[in-house]
Amino acid sequence: MSLRVPTMSVFPPVRQDRVIAQLPQAFRKEAAFHITEDFNNKVRSACQERRTGTVGFKISKVIVVGDLAVGKTCLINRFCKDAFDKNYKATIGVDFEMERFEVLGVPFSLQLWDTAGQERFKCIASTYYRGAQVVIIVFDVNDIASLSHARQWLEDALKENDPTSVQLFLVGTKKDMSSPAQYSRIEQDALKLANEIHAEYWAVSSLTGENVKEFFFRVAALAFETNVLAELEKSGSRQIGDVVRINSTSSNPYATTKKKQGNCCQ
Amino acid sequence: MDPLDGFGSPGREAAAADSRSAWSRFSSWLECVCVVTFDLELGQAIELVYPQDVKLTEKEKTSICYLSFPDSYSGCLGDTQFTFRLRQSVGRQGFKDDVYNRDAPVTLQRETAHFFGYVYFRQVKDVSIKRGYFQKSLVLVSRLPFTHLFHSMLQIIAPEFFEKLEPFLEAVCNEIDQWPPPSPGQTLNLPIVGTVLQIRIPSKSDKPGGSPVRQMTKENLLPAPTLLPTLHELDLFRCFQLVLIHLQMLWELALLGEPLVIMAPSPTVCSETVLALISAISPLKFCCDFRPYFTIHDCEFREYTTRTQAPPNVVLGVTNPFFIKAFQNWPHIVRLGEIKMAGDLPKQVKVKKLSKLKTLDTKPGIYTAYKPFLHKDKILIKRLLKGIQRKRPSEAQSAILRRHLLELTQSFIIPLERYMASLMPLQRSVTPWKTPPQVRPFSQEEFLSTLDHTGPQLTSMLRGDWMGLYRKFFRSPNFDGWYRQRHREMTQKLESLHLETICDADLLGWTKDKSEVEIVDLILKLREKLVRARRQHLQVKDGVLDKLDAFISSIVGSLPEDLQSVLNAR
Repeated sequence: MSLRVPTMSVFPPVRQDRVIAQLPQAFRKEAAFHITEDFNNKVRSACQERRTGTVGFKISKVIVVGDLAVGKTCLINRFCKDAFDKNYKATIGVDFEMERFEVLGVPFSLQLWDTAGQERFKCIASTYYRGAQVVIIVFDVNDIASLSHARQWLEDALKENDPTSVQLFLVGTKKDMSSPAQYSRIEQDALKLANEIHAEYWAVSSLTGENVKEFFFRVAALAFETNVLAELEKSGSRQIGDVVRINSTSSNPYATTKKKQGNCCQ
Repeated sequence: MDPLDGFGSPGREAAAADSRSAWSRFSSWLECVCVVTFDLELGQAIELVYPQDVKLTEKEKTSICYLSFPDSYSGCLGDTQFTFRLRQSVGRQGFKDDVYNRDAPVTLQRETAHFFGYVYFRQVKDVSIKRGYFQKSLVLVSRLPFTHLFHSMLQIIAPEFFEKLEPFLEAVCNEIDQWPPPSPGQTLNLPIVGTVLQIRIPSKSDKPGGSPVRQMTKENLLPAPTLLPTLHELDLFRCFQLVLIHLQMLWELALLGEPLVIMAPSPTVCSETVLALISAISPLKFCCDFRPYFTIHDCEFREYTTRTQAPPNVVLGVTNPFFIKAFQNWPHIVRLGEIKMAGDLPKQVKVKKLSKLKTLDTKPGIYTAYKPFLHKDKILIKRLLKGIQRKRPSEAQSAILRRHLLELTQSFIIPLERYMASLMPLQRSVTPWKTPPQVRPFSQEEFLSTLDHTGPQLTSMLRGDWMGLYRKFFRSPNFDGWYRQRHREMTQKLESLHLETICDADLLGWTKDKSEVEIVDLILKLREKLVRARRQHLQVKDGVLDKLDAFISSIVGSLPEDLQSVLNAR
């Protein structure tokens, strides 16, 4: 009685081109999250028998990080809006998109947090990293320096999260601007790094759209699979859909997870 | 554009080139965000405003500065949240095309002449500062009365802001600029600082007090880590716990829009109590002025404390004991103290004579000569007091209170609504060839004579002088506001019906044997009606306005060419 759960308006159905029935394959077998051909059997049968519990309205938080102007926003815009804007507009702080999928007949959403690459916003980024299940580190395949900064981005992102439960992707962008020879040189380094940090490697072009959809489908499918497996393992005690309430008497929802930091930007 | 551009001050030039203008989404939620700090030389000063190009007048800025700090700081060590409301400067443009106000419940409509300020004030010892204290407020300025949402946001934003400063605020404002506009009846996902708040904006067509939980197929539920149960509701029980036994009196004072001062030990308590009082007569809109937190620096201070005229219909929340002297000619003053327990129960304040109100250390109490028209609901009070002893959660106590107040207000308002509806002309009297009929005038005596059969006794157990309460209510701004609102809705309804009948009528046939003058007159009248309908977002059947547009053009086309060009030029 006291908890007034608002009525939910009916959200529009999932778009036809966001339905995932088969496990999308990795880009390179050498640097993949796993290379099984299909969804985990337990997951597939759980979905068939509708035993997914509350995963039906589960969401994964995805953060996208990487150097300034490597094309983080373009990557997201190509997928979410099927648009590409040649003009550069720096992201202020963070942009947000929500993308809805249907995986094995179960609705599933990705929350995409597109962070700014600018130094100016680095100190605030950590606030946005908390609770991420997927970290996408983006670099420009024509800029070796942006690849070498990937480790640092990863380190920052993992500070706020449990490293064992985060799925990592290393994504090279602007593939269209690179010659095959140039590309294969940087791919060597990227694959090596991906293996070292346990990330799945992808190379895409937001301009042409090459591999963009395939990549996000792979992200959604893997995040979904991981969530269902975790839910099946837990099976019971606490429901995923449990709601966190804020009211004026409760403390800051972050209070327990946050450590003090100095004033890093003046 | 050079990718390195904008390191220092990433402006909005690029964004301005977007299809939507910069900050348009932000401004459908907030007017601006201000950081108010204490400057040793200047006193309170605005340190930072987002968006940077927001237009605040000097007077508005001064008010925001004064109202964002507690009147006396000593009692507020640590973090304090409260709400204020200030008058907009004259000449400020209102919100254009406000579809939101058309569809939102009247109690949640956007303010047209005031702003709310939602404040998060931090005062902590800091030896590195000359004064020895860090004193700063983060203020959300908005036309929307979404108390709970904005204070929840402040709980998330403010502590981070005090550590990370300007870039953080810039990022947050940019996030808010991506929010969908507040649309009544819809559930919205609002990203903020790495999390998503999910809220539902109430709609005018919601049943007040109806069960908010509807069974849905699970597939339609979108997940959200943080679900806000309400946009605007307060913890009524916490607000009223010291005055529970006088609830009936306070409800009447709010209903009648009586001049009232709430004096409390902190800005949090006084602002919440004022807002709780205002909401106590929901779904009726409180149409008088109210200032949840008011200080002696306020521009209206002189206006309110002048002894040459009767106090205005306004509810003020204050903390400064100086006000006791300043408001001695006010008819109702509620002085709240710290919560003292008498056994298990919070000690209830007593009603006292106004003449006792003299010294600065006046005791807690309700200082008034007011005698309620209706008897108090002893069963309710007993139930709530028992709830305290049994440690019933505050939310549950609040829900009981809210339901009681809603039923009381509904009982009071239903006879008025019923009578008002009877003033509507019959639908068949709406014909295309005449101006629409008018709503019959409201006759107080006629209304009072309906009370014997269809009065509030049908829905309320409360005894007392309902008739007297209605008579007094007729003289209050709340009646006036309610009546105007209903009258406007009914007039618009008649106008929609009229447009629909015109649309169905054989207009072309009518023009056949008419003179040019008459036809031109018809065209002009119809055009005027259409402009008004569009401006008022009149709700008419689909296609009606378009059909009339097409009709006008075809009639114009049948006129001589010179006349056509005159009509088209207009």
